[in-house]
Amino acid sequence: MTRETDRLIEARISRSQFFRLMGGAATAALLTACSTRPSTGGTSGAGAGASVDLKFVGVADEKVPMEDLVAAYRQAKAGVSIATSYAPTDQVQTSLRTQLGAGNAPDLHVVYPGNGSAMSMAQIAGAGLLADLSSQAWTNTIPTGFKPAFQLQGKTYIYSAGSSVIGAIYNKKVFEKAGVDQPPTTWTEFLDVCEKIKKSGVTPIALGAQTPWVTQLITYALVPSTVYAKDPTFDDKQAAGQTSFAQSGWRDAMEMYLELQKRGYFNDKPNGTTYEQQTSMVATGKAGMAIQVSAVLQAFRDAATTPDDLSMFPLPGADDPAQVWIPAGVVVGLGASAKSKNVEEAKAFIDFLGKQENINRWAKAIAAIPLTQDAGSTIDPALESFLPLTKDRAVPFMDQRWPNAEVQPTHFAVIQDLLAGKIDIDGALKKMDEAYAK
Amino acid sequence: MSVITKQAGTSAAPAAKPGRRRFGAMTPPWLFAAPALLVYAVVVLYPSIAGVVYAFTDWSGIGGDMSFVGLSNFSAILHDDQALGSLGNTLLLTVAVVVVQNVVGLLLALGVNTKIKSRALLRVVFFSPVVVSPVMVAFLWKYIYNPDPSAGLNGLFGLHVDWLGDPSVALWSIAGMVVWQYAGYSMVIFLAGLEGVPRELHEAAMIDGAGTLQRFRYVTWPLLAPAVTINLMLSTIGGLKLFDQVFAATNGGPGYATETLSTVLYKQAFVYGKFGYSTAIALVLALFVAAVSFVQIYYLRSREVSQ
Repeated sequence: MTRETDRLIEARISRSQFFRLMGGAATAALLTACSTRPSTGGTSGAGAGASVDLKFVGVADEKVPMEDLVAAYRQAKAGVSIATSYAPTDQVQTSLRTQLGAGNAPDLHVVYPGNGSAMSMAQIAGAGLLADLSSQAWTNTIPTGFKPAFQLQGKTYIYSAGSSVIGAIYNKKVFEKAGVDQPPTTWTEFLDVCEKIKKSGVTPIALGAQTPWVTQLITYALVPSTVYAKDPTFDDKQAAGQTSFAQSGWRDAMEMYLELQKRGYFNDKPNGTTYEQQTSMVATGKAGMAIQVSAVLQAFRDAATTPDDLSMFPLPGADDPAQVWIPAGVVVGLGASAKSKNVEEAKAFIDFLGKQENINRWAKAIAAIPLTQDAGSTIDPALESFLPLTKDRAVPFMDQRWPNAEVQPTHFAVIQDLLAGKIDIDGALKKMDEAYAK
Repeated sequence: MSVITKQAGTSAAPAAKPGRRRFGAMTPPWLFAAPALLVYAVVVLYPSIAGVVYAFTDWSGIGGDMSFVGLSNFSAILHDDQALGSLGNTLLLTVAVVVVQNVVGLLLALGVNTKIKSRALLRVVFFSPVVVSPVMVAFLWKYIYNPDPSAGLNGLFGLHVDWLGDPSVALWSIAGMVVWQYAGYSMVIFLAGLEGVPRELHEAAMIDGAGTLQRFRYVTWPLLAPAVTINLMLSTIGGLKLFDQVFAATNGGPGYATETLSTVLYKQAFVYGKFGYSTAIALVLALFVAAVSFVQIYYLRSREVSQ
């Protein structure tokens, strides 16, 4: 036996030492327990009668508009305080679903429009967990084209401030230096632009494919032109089993996606690059553009030293400008939990959000196109080139019409496999069809 | 061991003092254990049994809609490419982690067990990654594994490897991360085992003319058997269940290259909304881990040398 172990074995603790130890441990535990009380986002109502505390869990994209509007609501209604917390998309989808399953859902929480993901309106309302908002005035002004995103069986369950588009967020300085004076309007022009940027020594397209939700954006930007421009009823046909991913323009979209990779227009190792790295590359001029949702335009601007350098243009998925369609989807919104104790107060907050001036405020904060527009609505100048297309050449984001929550993650995974060369397009489309059928 | 029997001797003094009334049916040891047993039953036993029940239903995880589907979840596992593929990944990852982590841990323990001056500090330094949360370790290593040639590991060694984005490398990158975190844990257990090797045996071997390697092989290694058993068992179970690091670093990607059974069952429950099916996978995983552990402990115990 070594000397150390002999000493350890001989060690005895006297009774007083033991009690001191336990006393110290108990005090430490007590202090920790007291200090980790969750901090509330707003101040509790100033002791005025019945003050209601609501809890909201949202996705990071909603933070800016929600904080603004929660503060405004506190001015409007002093007795109600709303505690907010936010998490990135992948995490909030799963953590909220767990809370819903356990019956601990917050009074207000993020809800994704339509169907197709774990926290989508159709999935959660289908389980009876969202409060019916149909009696609120703003729900009568939802444009017909957007109704499937907001409603299940004729009842409205989600509030959303408007729609966002997917296109190329680009750095104007990089484009100028490469000798590109106009954004491209056809696919061939787009390839030329990428070639020019590549020749000027800058990565044309930053792709952060390690973050799962980024992988889908290029497909989403091309599919409206390759699928819906030719057949606007594709979703209905697919739901009826008359067509599939493999038999449609999805194949063309994926070929175009891989064409960009083959020509070397992506950054090196897209599967190892994250969304945050992609954002910084475009903002600091290390890449020419990134195909992204307009809702993250503010994040790109925050990462840039000269935010005015950033703007957007629609990704032209066809060679005929008149055949170019764009994805324009309802932005992520929120709903009220049907099982909450304060469901009427929660619904009252949503009614407040439904006022036109608040719709304008929310849409402005995330560079979205407001759901309904009046004289006070502003649309971010970066979105101007998209507006003519939103009238009749826009399609909601594809996942909002998918019947289950497995197709979207399968899409993420097959894109990563395609970029790594582990699967071919046939295999990828087959996997997506299999997931659709589940 | 002689020391333990000495301790047991002092504490096993006659418990029934004269003049003290005996309790009825409940003896004091059970009374002391009851609160802990209660917590265990509520927090561990009840959810596990409830989980087993869910494995035979088609519950989606939310809402009250649930119907019994018998064994169809289990037969679905046999046809699920994602689950079967992830089984392969899980086994590869476990073997890699078990072998490398224990070899590195043993070498560290042997090194720290010598008379070098900084051995106390070194023990702390090597053990410190163990106490960091696995999710934080994964986030830290995501920075180290940055594929940019001017950053992280690539920048340090002039490499061009896409550590977490290349499907053929990603799994081993994660194994490396896990070994980095837990080698210190293996080291500590091996150190405890090394301190149980009597110095006299080493001295006797040296007198007989044995070199360092021979002393290790004939004196140290056989007496380390209990520590080896514990380490192999813990690292095997840990490897088979691995979730946090994989989820935080790659989320099972790129594609399905780093999916383990745990990430698959997590996604089935919380992303795809198939809670019943996911619980069936969890049950299969639990039985698999139990089976492997029993086989392991049976084989390793028979190797152990008692003093």
